[in-house]
This record gives sequence, C-alpha cells and structure tokens, in this order.
Amino acid sequence: MVYQQTKHLHYQILKLTGEVDLHNSPQVRKQLLAILKNGSSVLVDFSSLSYIDSSGIATLVEAFNLAKNSKLLLTIVGAVGAPLQVLELTNLNKVFHMVDSLDDIKG
Amino acid sequence: MTSAPQGIIEVKGLVSHYGKRKILKNVDLSVQKGEIRVIMGGSGSGKSTLLNHLLALLKPTSGSIFVDGVDVVNTDRKTLSKLRQKTGVAFQSGALFSSMTVGENIKLPLKRHTRLDDHTIDIMTRLKLELMNLAGFEDLMPSELSGGMLKRAGLARAVIMDPKLLFFDEPSAGLDPVTAVELDELILKLRDAMNMTVVVVTHELESAFKIADKITVLFDGEIAITGTVDEIKNSRDERIQNLINRRPRNETVDAEQYIKRLTTGKN
Amino acid sequence: MLTAIKSTIERIGERTADQVESAGRLGVFLFNLVSRLGMFRFPFTETLKHIQFIGARTVPLILISGLFTGMVIALQFYDTLIRFGSVELLGAAVAMSLIRELGPVMAALMVIARVGSATCAEIGIMRNEQQFDALDCMDIDSYHYVMLPRLIAAIISVPLLTAMFDVFGIGGGYIVGVLIHGVSDGAYLIGMADTIVWNDVLMGIIKSALFGFLILWICMAKGFFLHVEQKQAGAEGVSHATTQAVVLSAVLMLFVDYIVSSLML
Repeated sequence: MVYQQTKHLHYQILKLTGEVDLHNSPQVRKQLLAILKNGSSVLVDFSSLSYIDSSGIATLVEAFNLAKNSKLLLTIVGAVGAPLQVLELTNLNKVFHMVDSLDDIKG
Repeated sequence: MTSAPQGIIEVKGLVSHYGKRKILKNVDLSVQKGEIRVIMGGSGSGKSTLLNHLLALLKPTSGSIFVDGVDVVNTDRKTLSKLRQKTGVAFQSGALFSSMTVGENIKLPLKRHTRLDDHTIDIMTRLKLELMNLAGFEDLMPSELSGGMLKRAGLARAVIMDPKLLFFDEPSAGLDPVTAVELDELILKLRDAMNMTVVVVTHELESAFKIADKITVLFDGEIAITGTVDEIKNSRDERIQNLINRRPRNETVDAEQYIKRLTTGKN
Repeated sequence: MLTAIKSTIERIGERTADQVESAGRLGVFLFNLVSRLGMFRFPFTETLKHIQFIGARTVPLILISGLFTGMVIALQFYDTLIRFGSVELLGAAVAMSLIRELGPVMAALMVIARVGSATCAEIGIMRNEQQFDALDCMDIDSYHYVMLPRLIAAIISVPLLTAMFDVFGIGGGYIVGVLIHGVSDGAYLIGMADTIVWNDVLMGIIKSALFGFLILWICMAKGFFLHVEQKQAGAEGVSHATTQAVVLSAVLMLFVDYIVSSLML
C-alpha cells in the first residue's frame, strides 16, 4: 500500500510512502477525497515519500480545492527532496499549506 | 547481445544510409542518466538522422543502439511500447494534431495509456500548460498558436507522462531570443526537479553552451568531438572553432575537382 | 544509339520497379489496417466524427448531383422509350440504372472528389509535420488511431449516401418523366416497384461499401507514404500525392465496379 492512515488530534493523517505515480495515484485520490467528504481535515505526510509524479500532484490540487470549498484544512507535512522540488517547479509550495513536521501542528 | 550497456543511451558503430547516400558513418554515443546532452551540427551533419535512430523511427544499416537497456534495433513491439511510454519527444514544430485543441493534444497520451480520472488528467494538463507559460490556451486550436507556443505545447505533451528521458529537436530554432532563453531555463528546471535525462538536438550554439552538461558535435555524419562546454570552447579542431566563431567553412579548393563539379555536376 | 536504347530500357525498368513498389506499399498498408481490426478498444468517437465528415457533410452534394443525374437519365430514357412506344417502362429503367450502376458510381465519384482528396492531403500534411512520428513516439498506433476510424466511417457512410443519391435520382426522374413529359405517375412508380428485385438493391449496397473501402484505402495510403513516394517535399509533394490518389481510386473503383457487376449478373 502506498499510504497509511492514522489520527492526530482531530486530523486524519495520510502518510504516503515510497513512490506515488500513474499507477497508484488513483488509490491516493480515492482515499484523500473520501476523508475530506467525511468532513475531516487532513495532514498529508510526505516524510517517507521519495517520489511523486504529476498525477499525484494533480490529486493534491483537487483535494486541496475540495478542502478549501468545504472549509477544511489540507496540510502537507515534511516535504523534502524530489517531492519538494516538484512542488517548487509548479509553484504549488506557495499555494499549499506546508509545515515541516507534525510537531508544528496544534489543535 | 553485446555486453551490458552503462549509460541510459549507448550507441556503437552506427551506420545509416538514405538511399545510397551514407548519412552516419560509425557513430558512437554514450549518455549518462540525469545528463543534459546536446547533439550539435549544421544542416546535413546527420544530427536529425541520429535522433530518428535513437527514437527507433529508422532502422540502421549496422551498429547497435541501446536506450534504457533496450536494444531498440532488435526489440519486440511490446518492449518498445513500454520504452516509448517512458520517453518524451518534443518535435521541432510541435507536431500537434490540427484537429484537436491544444489541451486535447497534450492529454492524448494520458487518455490512451492510463486509467486516471478525468479531473486528474485535466489538472495535470493545466499544470504542464502553466509550466510552459501557456495557461489559458487549453481550448485554442493549434492553428491559432505562434511557432514558439506550438513548440512549448509540444514540450508539454512530451512531458505529460513525466518521462525519465526527454528528446528535444531544435528547441530554440525560429524563436525570439527571450522565448529561447525561457525554454532553455525550463529544460534545466525539468531536469533538476524530475531528474530527467535530456537529449537536445540543435544547431544553436548559445543555447547549447547554456544548458549542456556535455556536447557532441557532428560533422558530415561523424562525431568530431564529445566534451564539456569548456572542452568544446577550447578545442583546437578548426571546424569547431569555425562553428563557434561563426566563420563560414573555408576549405582548400581543389581546382581540378571544382571545375569538374561545375561542368559535369559530378564529384 | 545503343546508349539511348539502354537508358530507355533502364527508365522503363525503373518505372516498373516504382509501380511494383507502390503496389506493394498499398498491400502493406491494407494488411496493417486489417490487422488492427481486432485491436482492443475500438475508437468509437473518432469513427462517429468521421461519419459526420464523410457522411453528413457530403449529403448536400449527393442530393444535388443525384437529382440532376436522375433528371438527365429520365430525359434520355424517355427519348429512347418513346420511339418504342413504351414510356411506361421509364420508372423501371431509371430506378434500375440508378440502383445497380449510376448510384454507387456517381456517389463514389462525389466521395472521391470531396472526401478522398481531402483525406489524402490531410494525411500527407500530417506526415510532413512529423505527426505520425509523434504518434509512434507516444506509442499510439497510427493505423488504429488515424486510419481505421476513417475506413469504417467510409464503409458505413458511402452506402447510405448512395441510397440518398438513388432516392433523389428517382425523384429527379419523376420530375422530368411525370411532371414535365406527362408519363402517368402510376406507371412510373408501380413499374419501378414491380421490376426492382432484392438482388439489384444488394448489388448497389455491396458496390458502394466496396467503393467506400477502396477510396479511403488508396487515399490514406498515398498520403501516409508521401515521404517515400514523392520526389518533391512539402506542398508540392502533397498535391502530387493527392492527384495520384484521386486518379488511382477513380480508376480502381470503375474496375471493381465491372468485376462486381460481372460476378452478380
């Protein structure tokens, strides 16, 4: 599985692991949209993510927009390396709510 | 089967003919992963033919071509299909389909090869359009775009599947200087963010010096030199210095042969 | 003298070789096209788009030419039949010649003029602009994606266009025979219904489907192989290829017309 789901305060945490690409990004999308539709804010944990392609990024864009429209939060946690560079390439690091670690999250 | 190739592109002893004319004479080429390689040469140097061989669009007379470990000369359709889905190609004038909008053109590979949701595909397409500075041009037809825009739209289509290997034919030819510089910077950014290997075929020196890790110079179907930008600049090869200093070819005139060519049209 | 003969023979040989090669390419094209029929994921939307282009947008042309063709053959038949005192056969004669022969052939000629030439030019330009190379590099099969929908659209559309041509032709014959020359409308219509048998209609359908197939096959192949067949590059090559495609498909169409007629009569 490319993701693990846990809870932190009143957030759902979706921890992405390994590589998110054309083949498994639909799984991530389904899960992410389901969490938001359940009315819960979400933390997407990038800390164990080594690669994310543009289908993964597009999924995050869609989810972020849904969160915004439903007055929920979608926060990206601990993006470094290649995934961070991809976010920077598309200027999305200036759009998404991003924090360095879970410690920065307060109830 | 030759010994396991090292780089992402390994060409050995490539010979190619067009009809009876020999276009490539014993070309060797080795490109490493993550490298930006510029293949340079004037018109008629064989650089386009070399590109077509790398893309497996032509069959060589002899020699071997390995791309990402695949022997593209002798491979089966299935393996080639897989390789091609991991490879992006941006053609000189875009090669967009005139019957579709720019957006439809760019998402075509995704529609054909993936089962992604339409929302995801739309956002991916717009992300690439943004990256190419073409935001808002999604619903236009290719005929409504300028040459430089077509080229960038072609690049957007080439990278829509996030390829590991990108071929780019003449990125800056026919562009105004500002657009050309922007495109060069885009190539550098793509390589850094996506860790792409990029092979650029061009005759534009300035752009080559700016983006290349290594440059391969072709003359009359033969590789004159392969080296870093500095090595090329300091090369003592007269033909290369002529190229750098934009001097016309100044070959010694063989009087007898010249007269023969002029009067009989034969060499 | 000897060299002149030699070079003439050489030229004849070269030309023959060119023709054989060209025929071979048409064969290869057909083989590739047919082999894609079983491929997964049939391109429905593409096919519909081309039915719209080949079919729907050719209708006005078909209607006008059908009407005039019917009028002129009614006139000719009327003039002939009146000498034998059998104008009551007019309806049958007009319908028979339209349904079995003139309908399929004239409709096919209209399709060649409107669709065949445009298709050849379009595919030739796609070749020139490296679009087929681009398709190859994107791992999209050109035959499956570009050619097959057009071919199937033609096989579906041309018989329908032919049927419309026939109906308007018969209408044109009615105008000339009944309204202008006063043949009784009962004789015109009932004579027609009594004479035409299913086999006549079938012949028309088979012919027109074959013509549709033939026209698109030739016109697409000539455009697709533009880069190997044409000596001139660019626009001139496209115009040459289009001319060749139109001429060849018209001639082959008439040849196939004869073969089918002789087999079915």
